Amino acid sequence: MKTIPPSSPEPEFGRKYWRSLDQLAETPEFRQWVEREFPAGASEWADPVSRRHFVKIMSASFLLAGLGLGATGCRRPEQRILPFSKTPEDYVHGVSEFYATAMPTRGGAVPLVVRSHEGRPIKIEGNGLHPDGNGSTDRYTQASILNLYDPDRAMAFKEKGNVRNPEAAFDFLAGLSKSVLAAKGQGLAFLSESGNSPSRHRLRQALIEKLPLARWYEDEPVDMSAAQRAATLATGQSVKPHFLYDQADVILSLDCDFIGSEEDVHNNIRRFTQRRRLKNPADGLNRLYVVESLMTLTGIGADHRLRVPSSTVAQAAAGIAIAAELLHEQSQELLRVAGNSGIDIKWLAGCARDLVQNRGKSLVVAGHRQPLAVHLLAFTLNEALGNLGKTVLLHETAELKAGSLADLTRALNAGQVENLVVLGGNPVYTAPADLDFAQALGKARQVVRLGYFEDETSDHCTWHLPAAHYLESWGDALTSDGSLVPIQPLIAPLFGGLTDLELMARIGGLEVSNPHDIVRQTFGKVVGGGDFEEAWKRFLHDGFLGNSAAKPVVVRMQPNALAAALSQLKVEKPGKDHLEVVFHRDYSLDDGRYNNNGWLQEMPDPITKMTWDNAVLISRRTAVELGVKNSDVVRLTLGDRQIEGPIWVQPGMADYSLGLALGYGRPKTGRVGREAGFNVYPLRTSASTSFAVGASLAPVKGKTYKLACTQDHWSLEGRPIVREANLSQYREHPDFAQRMQLHEPEGGGSLYPNPLDQLAKTGLHQWGMSIDLNLCVGCSSCMIACQSENNVPIVGKGQVARGREMHWLRIDRYYAGNPKLRKKTDAYLDESKQQFEEWVDDPQAVTQPMLCQHCEAAPCESVCPVNATVHDQEGLNLMVYNRCVGTRYCSNNCPYKVRRFNFFDYNKRPLNALYMGPLAKRPEDEFDLIKLIKNPDVTVRMRGVMEKCTFCVQRIEQAKIAQKVKAGASADVIVPDKTFTTACAQACPAGAIVFGDVSDANSQVSQLKKLDRDYAVLDFLYTRPRLTYLAKVRNPNAEMPDYHEAPLTFEYYKEQMGDPFKAGGAHGEKAAHGQADRKGVH
Amino acid sequence: MSAIFPKWTNRLPLMIITGLLLVGSALVAGVWYYMSPSYARVGYKPIQPVAFAHSTHVDQLGIDCRYCHDDVERSWYSNIPASSTCMNCHTQVLKDDPRLALVRESAQSGKPIPWVQIHRVPDYVYFNHSVHINRGISCVECHGQINKMDEVFQAKPLSMTFCLDCHRNPAARIRPPDKITDLNWRWSADPIEAARLQKLHGEKLVKDWKVESLQTCSACHR
Repeated sequence: MKTIPPSSPEPEFGRKYWRSLDQLAETPEFRQWVEREFPAGASEWADPVSRRHFVKIMSASFLLAGLGLGATGCRRPEQRILPFSKTPEDYVHGVSEFYATAMPTRGGAVPLVVRSHEGRPIKIEGNGLHPDGNGSTDRYTQASILNLYDPDRAMAFKEKGNVRNPEAAFDFLAGLSKSVLAAKGQGLAFLSESGNSPSRHRLRQALIEKLPLARWYEDEPVDMSAAQRAATLATGQSVKPHFLYDQADVILSLDCDFIGSEEDVHNNIRRFTQRRRLKNPADGLNRLYVVESLMTLTGIGADHRLRVPSSTVAQAAAGIAIAAELLHEQSQELLRVAGNSGIDIKWLAGCARDLVQNRGKSLVVAGHRQPLAVHLLAFTLNEALGNLGKTVLLHETAELKAGSLADLTRALNAGQVENLVVLGGNPVYTAPADLDFAQALGKARQVVRLGYFEDETSDHCTWHLPAAHYLESWGDALTSDGSLVPIQPLIAPLFGGLTDLELMARIGGLEVSNPHDIVRQTFGKVVGGGDFEEAWKRFLHDGFLGNSAAKPVVVRMQPNALAAALSQLKVEKPGKDHLEVVFHRDYSLDDGRYNNNGWLQEMPDPITKMTWDNAVLISRRTAVELGVKNSDVVRLTLGDRQIEGPIWVQPGMADYSLGLALGYGRPKTGRVGREAGFNVYPLRTSASTSFAVGASLAPVKGKTYKLACTQDHWSLEGRPIVREANLSQYREHPDFAQRMQLHEPEGGGSLYPNPLDQLAKTGLHQWGMSIDLNLCVGCSSCMIACQSENNVPIVGKGQVARGREMHWLRIDRYYAGNPKLRKKTDAYLDESKQQFEEWVDDPQAVTQPMLCQHCEAAPCESVCPVNATVHDQEGLNLMVYNRCVGTRYCSNNCPYKVRRFNFFDYNKRPLNALYMGPLAKRPEDEFDLIKLIKNPDVTVRMRGVMEKCTFCVQRIEQAKIAQKVKAGASADVIVPDKTFTTACAQACPAGAIVFGDVSDANSQVSQLKKLDRDYAVLDFLYTRPRLTYLAKVRNPNAEMPDYHEAPLTFEYYKEQMGDPFKAGGAHGEKAAHGQADRKGVH
Repeated sequence: MSAIFPKWTNRLPLMIITGLLLVGSALVAGVWYYMSPSYARVGYKPIQPVAFAHSTHVDQLGIDCRYCHDDVERSWYSNIPASSTCMNCHTQVLKDDPRLALVRESAQSGKPIPWVQIHRVPDYVYFNHSVHINRGISCVECHGQINKMDEVFQAKPLSMTFCLDCHRNPAARIRPPDKITDLNWRWSADPIEAARLQKLHGEKLVKDWKVESLQTCSACHR
């Protein structure tokens, strides 16, 4: 009967993170605990006494435990404090440390400052010191920290699927190095992702010397290099364009989603919105024209949007070029390309005229999906418009030659590659379907793969080496302005991962293979002489090398580049039987690299508001013609390849164009990404990686698929939740936002005095927030930042479908169509009906971040039976988790619907077994890692309590405490403006969210709240929100055919509530009055 | 008729009263215990791995609290000193004493000394040492006269009422910044005079320094 569980010593590879502090301490108690499942005595049955005796003893001890309240059972467990034996210098326990580093991206990097708490990186922020930035980040960067603690990441060195210890792997690498060096690299090939690390560049040069016959290939499933290639072709010099959106008055985007899915979006948003800031009516706005097929974030931010299929964007571009009358030499080719497109000539001409009128202050950009000819056309237009050196800067780049994935496949199939080293990426999943890359991989004798996950590609590799997260590795990169930034680790690799630098150095047999030393050497070469140590320290401290930004170069145009490219351009116009499919980088998962990231999976797509899935995006008209509707599963056929997926009618989609998001439906992924969406890569061929014409679509009879969408209502229904006007209207009526206020109930004012009036007198500060809807582009960085800061759990698709998502901050997206196209019966239809309405074809859209408004007279507080939600004296609407009993009355009474309820123990239970309650425990490896990412300053909420935005109360308190510590024996306790801000405001690339003390008249937030455009949502309810919005102002061109005198939401408001600009406005009209009262609370 | 109520029912009221009394006193005892400092673990004095006497080091030798607990002014957390801090003196003083074997071993091997935690507030309480220490609240208010203790024990309940008692009336506890770590210090040796001066000066300090002494939930719970 005696069973002693086998001991489980700490594995040499695999899990290396701390299970608890005691383990770190390696105390004898802990060793014993680790080795034995139960503490001493519990698992032995040494004495062969009877079962009866055992029961007797046990019942006696239970009785004792029950009686003796002072016995151990009722006592808090003894806890140990394990101080350092020698404290590291400058380390203060309990105070977070911040390190500058950077996240590498396809063609650059995002400079960061990462918060480390007791050795764990827990929050990512942008580096505000960086000369080309404002300390903001994008959503991928914010979410990337979750990948660090992903329980499904690759944790072991594996040879043919068998776990090997790291030494064996390094021995193998040494052997490989010896053999390839002997052969001068014959038969050796590298396949890497793109990137611009100077160290990698240097190592590649070293490898070329040592292994002259080795070949290098680069592959990116979503290739962003077209603009650079076009600039290089057009000038004959190796240059990379850098677009200054903040210098342009007029911007034309040719299928270029620079706000959403191009490179460096956080910088693009910052620059673009800089020209959308309005202090007073005299200020100007930039104007954005967008020609695109999908509805994108750039499209919804446009003043004029032309929807055409991606394959005919070239025609529109040619039309604009012809109308601009700038490119006479290429007029023949342009006319051929423009052809008879059926695109509204007036639109093209109006746009062209605006561009020409703003020479030197305009900007034409083309998207990464567009062919080289369109990029060349955009570049040539910029040159002709005199934009080079003004809105477009050209930076020199030094690129080493690399082959494409197709080249590699050919080499593999020809048997020329003996040893293949795959550095990152997941080519088996992402490669164009016609290459059959998985099969080609089998032709190599050995495939060594450095990968972050054990994924589709690792199945085809001889060796799989775990890659280190960027927060675990040394590296360097250049940001988009050319500044050198360091990538420095905040934590030693949790699972002993390697970096590409180390692997390259080991294979090349280089003397220095430690990535830290490699990066230092590169840095030494960059700075040259001077005090190296000092410069290196400064570099790591600041997170960038000062004055290292690239200098713009002056170029000369190559005359024939454009004409040659245009003559090769074939334009195919899609139709009902030959539809166009557009493969796009997903707003959540990128190209699939974030497939196992729960935050991004659950982040509603900024446009569709869909979570956990992709869909076949289709325009209303096309859907009607093909007889399909939302959630119908359809079969898409392109050539001889087929895929199946659900339909989603997307307002604003080009007709006969289908949007297919990349990155879903991975055959092999982790626990999070499993069963999310469908895979569209099988439709992609190397000839058409971005879009292809000629697809056909047929419904799969009787098959539907449930999609989890967080916003099933599309229209504002004329309510002034979001208020907007055109610039001309704003200039005439600067107070338009206030005029659009709904009629207040009769009787004048609230029955009760504002409960905060008395309390607020004792507060040192009064916190408030202002969100400028003119700057918000809907990018959703704030959502992920909030999730990361406040330990907001993910709940899974099933729960989202029930409306139980937990996001404290959501972004509402409303469409507005031409009111003339709306039928009276349209009101209050959800998307299942609205998808058939004609007005959704050419909608305008607005986005609005919605979070707890911190009402001074909060409706939630008055209904709470246990006082679990109360106000503090600084105007915060607090949520006291320990008091909450989960009645959910508060959520019921909240007019803004921002309160979230923990229906389950989302932290402790696996997402697929929530309903089993305590019977299902999260697997230990999953739970242990996920615990590490939690912010220790924020309570992790359990089942049955309500939660909501706290205005980052932990940051407020920390700032106040820091100020009080500084004040000491003085009265200097007021926190100065801009000392700190909330997580959402910090992440916002546009600076749309501003938080601060509203009792300080000089604070930034007070200044913003004084503006004319300031309004509160649902103000007629007398909730007195501390969060107010600044109304949106559009800047349309009156000469355009799609010009509306007022934004469409405004038109609809006018129709429902009366004209706010007439004497008395909406308030004066009886009809409107009735409407307001009826519609006020819903 | 007598068959309906047997004779023992005469004792029923007495039995009920006795029963109620028993239940009542059990309830009172329970609540009493819950409210008592003993429930809050006042007097908790675990055996520590090293018999460190604060009384020797503070009262006899006059070492300031912050020599060892040096992060207390900067962090929410008052650190337990590293073994190397002990060795600053004990390489000279009592350098072969068997009572210090563990400390020497720890300093040499790098393994921490597993001290037993005594003062503890629940995880949902975000108490911050630095703001109290820098704004005139002495260690003694929460930890008692540690300087007199041979073995450290929990002297105060550290319950929510305990916190609120002070937050409702900080003037009764606040003291000049240079007297924070002087645990014996009073405004006067005479208790009545000390109380009068505390009230007088306390109120002035609270006003002069704009001491907030928050009583809202967000002060401690986030």
